[in-house]
Amino acid sequence: MIKVEHLYKKFGTNEVLTDISAEIKKGEVVSIIGPSGSGKSTFLRCLNMLEIPTSGKVLVNGRDLTGPKKEIENIRQQIGMVFQHFHLFPHMTVLDNLTYAPMKVKGLKKAVAEEKARTLLQRVGLSDKEKAYPSSLSGGQKQRVAIARALAMEPELMLFDEPTSALDPEMVKEVLDVMKDLAKSGMTMAVVTHEMGFAREVADRVLFLDHGALVEEGQPQEFFTSPKTERARDFLEKVL
Amino acid sequence: MNLDFSQMVPYIPFILEGIWVTLKFVIVAIILGSILGTILALFKIGSIKPLRWFADAYTSIFRGTPLILQLMIIYYSIPQLTGYDISPFLSAILAFGLNSSAYISEIIRAGIQAVDKGQMEAAQALGIPYRAMMKDIILPQALKNILPALMNEFITLTKESAIVSTIGYLDLMRRAQVVGSDLFRNFEPLLFVGLIYWCLVMGLTVIGRMFERRLKQSD
Repeated sequence: MIKVEHLYKKFGTNEVLTDISAEIKKGEVVSIIGPSGSGKSTFLRCLNMLEIPTSGKVLVNGRDLTGPKKEIENIRQQIGMVFQHFHLFPHMTVLDNLTYAPMKVKGLKKAVAEEKARTLLQRVGLSDKEKAYPSSLSGGQKQRVAIARALAMEPELMLFDEPTSALDPEMVKEVLDVMKDLAKSGMTMAVVTHEMGFAREVADRVLFLDHGALVEEGQPQEFFTSPKTERARDFLEKVL
Repeated sequence: MNLDFSQMVPYIPFILEGIWVTLKFVIVAIILGSILGTILALFKIGSIKPLRWFADAYTSIFRGTPLILQLMIIYYSIPQLTGYDISPFLSAILAFGLNSSAYISEIIRAGIQAVDKGQMEAAQALGIPYRAMMKDIILPQALKNILPALMNEFITLTKESAIVSTIGYLDLMRRAQVVGSDLFRNFEPLLFVGLIYWCLVMGLTVIGRMFERRLKQSD
Protein backbone atom coordinates (compact mmCIF):
# COMPACT_ATOMS: atom_id res chain seq x y z
CA MET A 1 0.00 0.00 0.00
CA ILE A 2 2.67 2.49 1.05
CA LYS A 3 6.38 2.03 0.70
CA VAL A 4 9.18 4.24 1.93
CA GLU A 5 12.63 3.96 0.43
CA HIS A 6 15.77 5.50 1.89
CA LEU A 7 13.99 8.49 3.35
CA TYR A 8 16.12 11.38 4.56
CA LYS A 9 14.84 14.63 6.05
CA LYS A 10 16.98 17.56 7.10
CA PHE A 11 15.90 20.83 8.69
CA GLY A 12 18.85 23.04 7.79
CA THR A 13 21.84 21.07 8.95
CA ASN A 14 19.83 19.12 11.48
CA GLU A 15 19.23 15.59 10.23
CA VAL A 16 15.84 14.48 11.53
CA LEU A 17 15.37 11.29 9.57
CA THR A 18 18.19 9.06 8.44
CA ASP A 19 17.77 6.44 5.75
CA ILE A 20 14.38 5.03 6.70
CA SER A 21 12.91 2.26 4.61
CA ALA A 22 9.62 0.71 5.57
CA GLU A 23 6.43 -0.67 4.16
CA ILE A 24 2.84 -0.76 5.29
CA LYS A 25 0.66 -3.40 3.69
CA LYS A 26 -3.03 -3.11 3.00
CA GLY A 27 -5.12 -3.71 6.11
CA GLU A 28 -2.14 -3.49 8.41
CA VAL A 29 -2.05 -1.39 11.59
CA VAL A 30 1.43 -0.09 12.30
CA SER A 31 2.39 1.75 15.46
CA ILE A 32 5.31 4.12 15.34
CA ILE A 33 6.87 4.67 18.74
CA GLY A 34 10.00 6.20 20.15
CA PRO A 35 11.26 8.91 22.48
CA SER A 36 10.22 12.50 21.81
CA GLY A 37 12.43 14.11 19.21
CA SER A 38 13.07 10.76 17.57
CA GLY A 39 11.49 11.95 14.31
CA LYS A 40 8.37 9.79 14.40
CA SER A 41 5.96 12.65 13.69
CA THR A 42 8.20 13.94 10.92
CA PHE A 43 8.27 10.45 9.45
CA LEU A 44 4.48 10.26 9.51
CA ARG A 45 4.18 13.73 7.95
CA CYS A 46 6.47 12.66 5.14
CA LEU A 47 3.96 9.95 4.25
CA ASN A 48 1.51 12.55 2.90
CA MET A 49 4.07 15.21 2.03
CA LEU A 50 3.20 17.65 4.80
CA GLU A 51 6.97 17.52 5.15
CA ILE A 52 8.87 17.25 1.91
CA PRO A 53 11.62 14.65 2.27
CA THR A 54 15.15 15.83 1.54
CA SER A 55 15.73 12.64 -0.41
CA GLY A 56 14.24 9.22 -0.79
CA LYS A 57 10.95 7.96 -2.12
CA VAL A 58 7.42 7.55 -0.82
CA LEU A 59 5.34 5.27 -3.00
CA VAL A 60 1.59 4.95 -2.56
CA ASN A 61 0.23 2.01 -4.53
CA GLY A 62 3.31 2.34 -6.68
CA ARG A 63 2.81 6.06 -7.39
CA ASP A 64 5.64 8.31 -6.31
CA LEU A 65 4.53 11.05 -3.92
CA THR A 66 7.78 12.93 -4.27
CA GLY A 67 6.83 13.65 -7.89
CA PRO A 68 4.84 16.57 -9.35
CA LYS A 69 2.50 18.67 -7.24
CA LYS A 70 -0.79 17.71 -8.88
CA GLU A 71 -0.05 14.09 -8.11
CA ILE A 72 0.31 14.94 -4.43
CA GLU A 73 -3.18 16.43 -4.26
CA ASN A 74 -4.68 13.34 -5.84
CA ILE A 75 -2.85 10.88 -3.64
CA ARG A 76 -3.58 12.90 -0.51
CA GLN A 77 -7.26 12.23 -1.06
CA GLN A 78 -6.50 8.57 -0.44
CA ILE A 79 -4.65 9.29 2.79
CA GLY A 80 -6.58 10.56 5.80
CA MET A 81 -4.78 12.32 8.60
CA VAL A 82 -5.64 12.93 12.24
CA PHE A 83 -3.61 15.50 14.16
CA GLN A 84 -2.64 15.85 17.79
CA HIS A 85 -4.46 19.18 17.98
CA PHE A 86 -7.47 18.15 15.86
CA HIS A 87 -7.37 21.16 13.49
CA LEU A 88 -11.11 21.14 12.89
CA PHE A 89 -12.32 24.11 10.87
CA PRO A 90 -13.58 26.37 13.69
CA HIS A 91 -15.89 28.49 11.54
CA MET A 92 -17.87 25.52 10.27
CA THR A 93 -20.38 23.30 12.02
CA VAL A 94 -19.48 19.66 12.66
CA LEU A 95 -21.54 18.59 9.67
CA ASP A 96 -19.88 21.16 7.39
CA ASN A 97 -16.46 20.01 8.60
CA LEU A 98 -17.35 16.55 7.32
CA THR A 99 -19.00 17.53 4.06
CA TYR A 100 -16.72 20.33 2.85
CA ALA A 101 -13.87 18.29 1.38
CA PRO A 102 -16.02 15.54 -0.18
CA MET A 103 -18.13 18.20 -1.91
CA LYS A 104 -15.23 20.44 -2.94
CA VAL A 105 -12.65 17.83 -3.85
CA LYS A 106 -14.69 14.84 -4.93
CA GLY A 107 -17.66 16.80 -6.24
CA LEU A 108 -20.26 14.96 -4.17
CA LYS A 109 -23.78 16.38 -4.08
CA LYS A 110 -24.69 18.07 -0.82
CA ALA A 111 -27.40 15.54 0.07
CA VAL A 112 -25.10 12.59 -0.59
CA ALA A 113 -22.23 14.11 1.39
CA GLU A 114 -24.53 14.91 4.32
CA GLU A 115 -25.98 11.44 4.42
CA LYS A 116 -22.51 9.94 4.49
CA ALA A 117 -21.42 12.43 7.15
CA ARG A 118 -24.35 11.47 9.35
CA THR A 119 -23.48 7.79 9.06
CA LEU A 120 -19.92 8.58 10.09
CA LEU A 121 -21.03 10.74 13.02
CA GLN A 122 -23.15 7.86 14.19
CA ARG A 123 -20.16 5.58 13.92
CA VAL A 124 -18.08 7.83 16.19
CA GLY A 125 -21.05 8.36 18.52
CA LEU A 126 -21.69 12.04 17.84
CA SER A 127 -24.97 12.09 15.92
CA ASP A 128 -26.40 14.75 18.23
CA LYS A 129 -23.57 17.20 17.50
CA GLU A 130 -23.95 17.81 13.77
CA LYS A 131 -25.15 21.40 14.21
CA ALA A 132 -22.56 22.23 16.89
CA TYR A 133 -19.43 24.29 16.30
CA PRO A 134 -16.07 22.74 17.26
CA SER A 135 -15.53 25.25 20.08
CA SER A 136 -18.44 23.74 22.00
CA LEU A 137 -17.02 20.20 21.92
CA SER A 138 -14.72 18.48 24.39
CA GLY A 139 -11.26 17.36 23.27
CA GLY A 140 -12.35 13.77 22.87
CA GLN A 141 -15.36 14.79 20.83
CA LYS A 142 -13.23 17.06 18.63
CA GLN A 143 -10.84 14.23 17.91
CA ARG A 144 -13.68 11.88 17.04
CA VAL A 145 -15.07 14.50 14.65
CA ALA A 146 -11.58 14.86 13.16
CA ILE A 147 -11.43 11.10 12.57
CA ALA A 148 -14.87 11.20 10.95
CA ARG A 149 -13.79 14.15 8.79
CA ALA A 150 -10.81 12.18 7.50
CA LEU A 151 -12.97 9.10 6.91
CA ALA A 152 -15.46 11.15 4.90
CA MET A 153 -12.94 11.20 2.07
CA GLU A 154 -12.97 7.39 2.08
CA PRO A 155 -9.20 7.08 2.41
CA GLU A 156 -7.35 3.83 1.93
CA LEU A 157 -4.83 4.73 4.60
CA MET A 158 -5.22 6.67 7.83
CA LEU A 159 -2.35 8.49 9.53
CA PHE A 160 -2.64 9.33 13.23
CA ASP A 161 -0.17 11.83 14.69
CA GLU A 162 -0.31 11.36 18.47
CA PRO A 163 -4.11 11.49 18.42
CA THR A 164 -4.55 11.22 22.19
CA SER A 165 -1.62 13.30 23.43
CA ALA A 166 -3.59 16.54 23.77
CA LEU A 167 -6.53 14.91 25.53
CA ASP A 168 -7.53 14.81 29.18
CA PRO A 169 -6.96 11.30 30.53
CA GLU A 170 -10.64 10.46 30.81
CA MET A 171 -11.14 11.18 27.11
CA VAL A 172 -8.36 9.02 25.77
CA LYS A 173 -10.44 5.88 25.85
CA GLU A 174 -13.29 7.18 23.70
CA VAL A 175 -10.83 8.08 20.96
CA LEU A 176 -8.88 4.83 21.23
CA ASP A 177 -12.15 2.89 21.06
CA VAL A 178 -13.01 4.57 17.76
CA MET A 179 -9.53 3.75 16.46
CA LYS A 180 -9.78 0.13 17.56
CA ASP A 181 -13.13 -0.14 15.87
CA LEU A 182 -11.55 1.29 12.72
CA ALA A 183 -8.66 -1.17 12.90
CA LYS A 184 -11.10 -4.06 13.22
CA SER A 185 -12.95 -2.89 10.12
CA GLY A 186 -9.77 -3.50 8.14
CA MET A 187 -8.51 0.06 7.69
CA THR A 188 -4.82 0.46 6.95
CA MET A 189 -3.41 2.63 9.72
CA ALA A 190 -0.13 4.24 10.73
CA VAL A 191 -0.27 5.50 14.30
CA VAL A 192 2.34 7.59 16.05
CA THR A 193 1.49 7.13 19.70
CA HIS A 194 2.60 7.14 23.30
CA GLU A 195 -0.20 4.73 24.19
CA MET A 196 1.80 1.55 24.58
CA GLY A 197 -1.39 -0.31 25.49
CA PHE A 198 -2.85 0.54 22.11
CA ALA A 199 0.35 -0.38 20.27
CA ARG A 200 0.46 -3.70 22.04
CA GLU A 201 -3.16 -4.61 21.69
CA VAL A 202 -4.15 -3.28 18.28
CA ALA A 203 -1.02 -2.96 16.15
CA ASP A 204 0.12 -5.70 13.81
CA ARG A 205 3.59 -4.29 13.78
CA VAL A 206 5.65 -1.80 15.74
CA LEU A 207 8.29 0.54 14.31
CA PHE A 208 10.70 1.90 16.90
CA LEU A 209 12.46 5.12 15.94
CA ASP A 210 15.31 6.77 17.79
CA HIS A 211 17.41 9.74 16.71
CA GLY A 212 15.79 9.69 13.28
CA ALA A 213 16.66 6.11 12.52
CA LEU A 214 14.47 3.04 12.33
CA VAL A 215 16.12 1.04 15.10
CA GLU A 216 13.84 -1.92 15.42
CA GLU A 217 10.63 -3.31 14.02
CA GLY A 218 8.58 -6.35 14.85
CA GLN A 219 5.42 -7.93 16.17
CA PRO A 220 4.14 -6.14 19.28
CA GLN A 221 4.23 -9.31 21.38
CA GLU A 222 7.87 -9.87 20.57
CA PHE A 223 8.86 -6.23 20.72
CA PHE A 224 7.31 -5.47 24.09
CA THR A 225 8.44 -8.66 25.84
CA SER A 226 11.89 -9.16 24.37
CA PRO A 227 13.20 -6.17 22.42
CA LYS A 228 16.29 -6.97 20.41
CA THR A 229 18.15 -3.68 20.68
CA GLU A 230 19.61 -1.90 23.68
CA ARG A 231 17.91 1.38 22.78
CA ALA A 232 14.46 -0.20 22.57
CA ARG A 233 15.02 -1.88 25.93
CA ASP A 234 16.02 1.46 27.48
CA PHE A 235 12.96 3.15 26.05
CA LEU A 236 10.54 0.44 27.16
CA GLU A 237 11.96 0.46 30.67
CA LYS A 238 11.13 4.14 30.93
CA VAL A 239 7.60 4.02 29.58
CA LEU A 240 6.20 0.71 30.78
CA MET B 1 -18.71 84.29 20.77
CA ASN B 2 -20.89 84.92 17.81
CA LEU B 3 -22.47 81.76 16.45
CA ASP B 4 -25.37 82.08 14.08
CA PHE B 5 -26.63 78.97 12.37
CA SER B 6 -29.76 80.62 10.98
CA GLN B 7 -27.96 82.11 7.99
CA MET B 8 -26.83 78.63 7.03
CA VAL B 9 -30.31 77.17 6.78
CA PRO B 10 -30.78 77.75 3.00
CA TYR B 11 -27.49 75.96 2.38
CA ILE B 12 -28.33 72.84 4.38
CA PRO B 13 -29.73 70.83 1.43
CA PHE B 14 -26.59 71.72 -0.56
CA ILE B 15 -24.37 70.40 2.23
CA LEU B 16 -26.48 67.30 2.80
CA GLU B 17 -26.15 66.38 -0.88
CA GLY B 18 -22.44 66.14 -0.13
CA ILE B 19 -23.06 63.11 2.09
CA TRP B 20 -23.90 60.96 -0.91
CA VAL B 21 -21.09 62.52 -2.97
CA THR B 22 -18.58 61.61 -0.27
CA LEU B 23 -20.10 58.19 0.43
CA LYS B 24 -20.19 57.32 -3.26
CA PHE B 25 -16.46 57.49 -3.77
CA VAL B 26 -15.61 56.23 -0.28
CA ILE B 27 -17.63 53.06 -0.89
CA VAL B 28 -16.09 52.46 -4.30
CA ALA B 29 -12.61 53.14 -2.90
CA ILE B 30 -13.19 50.69 -0.02
CA ILE B 31 -14.31 47.99 -2.44
CA LEU B 32 -11.40 48.62 -4.79
CA GLY B 33 -8.96 48.77 -1.88
CA SER B 34 -10.27 45.53 -0.37
CA ILE B 35 -10.08 43.57 -3.61
CA LEU B 36 -6.62 44.87 -4.50
CA GLY B 37 -5.48 44.51 -0.90
CA THR B 38 -6.53 40.86 -0.78
CA ILE B 39 -4.71 40.13 -4.02
CA LEU B 40 -1.57 41.89 -2.78
CA ALA B 41 -1.74 40.00 0.52
CA LEU B 42 -1.92 36.70 -1.36
CA PHE B 43 1.10 37.81 -3.43
CA LYS B 44 2.99 38.56 -0.22
CA ILE B 45 2.42 35.17 1.39
CA GLY B 46 2.73 33.25 -1.87
CA SER B 47 5.80 31.47 -3.15
CA ILE B 48 6.21 33.35 -6.43
CA LYS B 49 9.15 35.70 -5.90
CA PRO B 50 8.44 38.41 -8.53
CA LEU B 51 4.86 38.82 -7.25
CA ARG B 52 6.11 39.06 -3.69
CA TRP B 53 8.64 41.63 -4.74
CA PHE B 54 5.98 43.60 -6.62
CA ALA B 55 3.58 43.62 -3.66
CA ASP B 56 6.32 44.75 -1.28
CA ALA B 57 7.43 47.54 -3.61
CA TYR B 58 3.84 48.63 -4.15
CA THR B 59 3.19 48.82 -0.41
CA SER B 60 6.41 50.69 0.20
CA ILE B 61 5.56 53.35 -2.40
CA PHE B 62 1.95 53.92 -1.39
CA ARG B 63 2.68 53.92 2.32
CA GLY B 64 5.83 55.92 1.93
CA THR B 65 4.39 59.02 0.24
CA PRO B 66 1.59 61.39 1.27
CA LEU B 67 -1.89 60.52 0.12
CA ILE B 68 -2.51 64.08 -1.00
CA LEU B 69 0.56 63.85 -3.23
CA GLN B 70 -0.73 60.65 -4.81
CA LEU B 71 -4.08 62.31 -5.40
CA MET B 72 -2.45 65.35 -7.05
CA ILE B 73 -0.21 63.19 -9.19
CA ILE B 74 -3.14 61.18 -10.49
CA TYR B 75 -5.34 64.22 -11.07
CA TYR B 76 -2.77 66.47 -12.72
CA SER B 77 -0.32 64.08 -14.36
CA ILE B 78 -2.73 61.78 -16.19
CA PRO B 79 -4.07 64.63 -18.40
CA GLN B 80 -0.53 65.89 -18.92
CA LEU B 81 0.90 62.50 -19.88
CA THR B 82 -1.97 60.92 -21.77
CA GLY B 83 -4.26 63.76 -22.74
CA TYR B 84 -7.12 61.97 -21.00
CA ASP B 85 -9.06 64.50 -18.94
CA ILE B 86 -9.59 62.53 -15.76
CA SER B 87 -12.52 63.54 -13.57
CA PRO B 88 -12.03 64.41 -9.90
CA PHE B 89 -14.32 61.48 -9.03
CA LEU B 90 -12.19 58.93 -10.87
CA SER B 91 -8.96 60.44 -9.51
CA ALA B 92 -10.36 60.21 -5.99
CA ILE B 93 -11.38 56.57 -6.37
CA LEU B 94 -8.00 55.66 -7.82
CA ALA B 95 -5.93 57.52 -5.24
CA PHE B 96 -7.90 56.26 -2.26
CA GLY B 97 -8.40 52.73 -3.59
CA LEU B 98 -4.74 52.26 -4.51
CA ASN B 99 -3.54 53.86 -1.30
CA SER B 100 -5.77 51.92 1.06
CA SER B 101 -5.03 48.64 -0.73
CA ALA B 102 -1.44 48.99 0.48
CA TYR B 103 -2.61 49.25 4.09
CA ILE B 104 -5.31 46.62 3.71
CA SER B 105 -2.84 44.15 2.20
CA GLU B 106 -0.68 44.43 5.31
CA ILE B 107 -3.68 43.92 7.58
CA ILE B 108 -4.82 40.85 5.63
CA ARG B 109 -1.31 39.42 5.42
CA ALA B 110 -0.99 39.63 9.19
CA GLY B 111 -4.44 38.08 9.55
CA ILE B 112 -3.61 35.14 7.31
CA GLN B 113 -0.35 34.50 9.08
CA ALA B 114 -2.13 34.56 12.44
CA VAL B 115 -4.38 31.65 11.42
CA ASP B 116 -3.13 28.44 12.99
CA LYS B 117 -0.76 26.64 10.63
CA GLY B 118 -2.60 23.44 11.43
CA GLN B 119 -5.60 24.71 9.48
CA MET B 120 -3.56 24.76 6.30
CA GLU B 121 -2.15 21.32 7.02
CA ALA B 122 -5.59 19.89 7.73
CA ALA B 123 -6.85 21.30 4.43
CA GLN B 124 -3.82 19.98 2.54
CA ALA B 125 -4.19 16.55 4.14
CA LEU B 126 -7.76 16.43 2.84
CA GLY B 127 -6.52 17.20 -0.67
CA ILE B 128 -8.24 20.59 -0.81
CA PRO B 129 -6.70 22.74 -3.60
CA TYR B 130 -4.88 25.96 -2.62
CA ARG B 131 -7.51 28.39 -3.97
CA ALA B 132 -10.42 26.71 -2.24
CA MET B 133 -8.42 26.43 0.96
CA MET B 134 -7.67 30.16 0.94
CA LYS B 135 -11.21 31.19 0.06
CA ASP B 136 -13.20 28.87 2.34
CA ILE B 137 -10.85 27.94 5.19
CA ILE B 138 -8.11 30.51 5.74
CA LEU B 139 -9.56 33.88 4.70
CA PRO B 140 -12.83 33.54 6.67
CA GLN B 141 -10.82 32.85 9.81
CA ALA B 142 -8.38 35.66 9.04
CA LEU B 143 -11.28 38.07 8.48
CA LYS B 144 -12.56 37.44 11.98
CA ASN B 145 -9.20 38.34 13.51
CA ILE B 146 -8.63 41.45 11.42
CA LEU B 147 -12.09 42.97 11.42
CA PRO B 148 -11.28 45.63 14.06
CA ALA B 149 -8.13 46.67 12.17
CA LEU B 150 -10.04 46.68 8.90
CA MET B 151 -12.82 48.85 10.35
CA ASN B 152 -10.14 51.23 11.57
CA GLU B 153 -8.79 51.52 8.04
CA PHE B 154 -12.27 52.16 6.61
CA ILE B 155 -12.92 54.84 9.22
CA THR B 156 -9.61 56.53 8.44
CA LEU B 157 -10.42 56.42 4.76
CA THR B 158 -13.85 57.99 5.32
CA LYS B 159 -12.36 60.91 7.23
CA GLU B 160 -9.30 61.38 5.04
CA SER B 161 -11.67 61.54 2.08
CA ALA B 162 -11.94 65.24 2.94
CA ILE B 163 -8.69 65.91 1.11
CA VAL B 164 -10.38 65.42 -2.25
CA SER B 165 -11.72 68.94 -1.67
CA THR B 166 -8.28 70.06 -2.82
CA ILE B 167 -8.92 68.91 -6.39
CA GLY B 168 -12.30 70.60 -6.51
CA TYR B 169 -14.43 67.54 -5.95
CA LEU B 170 -17.67 68.77 -4.35
CA ASP B 171 -17.62 66.49 -1.30
CA LEU B 172 -18.80 67.40 2.20
CA MET B 173 -15.63 69.26 3.05
CA ARG B 174 -15.59 71.30 -0.15
CA ARG B 175 -19.25 72.20 0.31
CA ALA B 176 -18.52 73.54 3.80
CA GLN B 177 -15.81 75.74 2.30
CA VAL B 178 -18.12 76.95 -0.48
CA VAL B 179 -20.84 77.85 2.00
CA GLY B 180 -18.28 79.47 4.27
CA SER B 181 -16.99 81.80 1.60
CA ASP B 182 -20.53 82.62 0.50
CA LEU B 183 -21.55 83.65 3.99
CA PHE B 184 -18.20 85.05 5.10
CA ARG B 185 -18.75 82.76 8.10
CA ASN B 186 -16.67 79.60 8.23
CA PHE B 187 -17.14 78.19 11.67
CA GLU B 188 -20.81 77.15 11.39
CA PRO B 189 -20.59 75.17 8.12
CA LEU B 190 -17.35 73.53 9.27
CA LEU B 191 -18.96 72.55 12.56
CA PHE B 192 -21.96 71.22 10.68
CA VAL B 193 -19.99 68.93 8.34
CA GLY B 194 -17.84 67.88 11.28
CA LEU B 195 -21.00 66.56 12.88
CA ILE B 196 -21.92 64.75 9.65
CA TYR B 197 -18.50 63.09 9.42
CA TRP B 198 -18.87 61.97 13.02
CA CYS B 199 -22.29 60.45 12.25
CA LEU B 200 -20.90 58.62 9.21
CA VAL B 201 -18.09 57.13 11.28
CA MET B 202 -20.52 56.11 14.02
CA GLY B 203 -22.63 54.40 11.38
CA LEU B 204 -19.59 52.51 10.13
CA THR B 205 -18.71 51.51 13.68
CA VAL B 206 -22.19 50.10 14.27
CA ILE B 207 -22.05 48.13 11.00
CA GLY B 208 -18.63 46.77 12.00
CA ARG B 209 -19.93 45.65 15.40
CA MET B 210 -22.87 43.88 13.80
CA PHE B 211 -20.56 42.09 11.41
CA GLU B 212 -18.24 41.13 14.24
CA ARG B 213 -21.12 39.60 16.19
CA ARG B 214 -22.15 37.55 13.19
CA LEU B 215 -18.62 36.18 12.76
CA LYS B 216 -18.48 35.32 16.46
CA GLN B 217 -21.36 32.89 15.98
CA SER B 218 -18.98 29.94 15.98
CA ASP B 219 -17.31 30.75 19.33
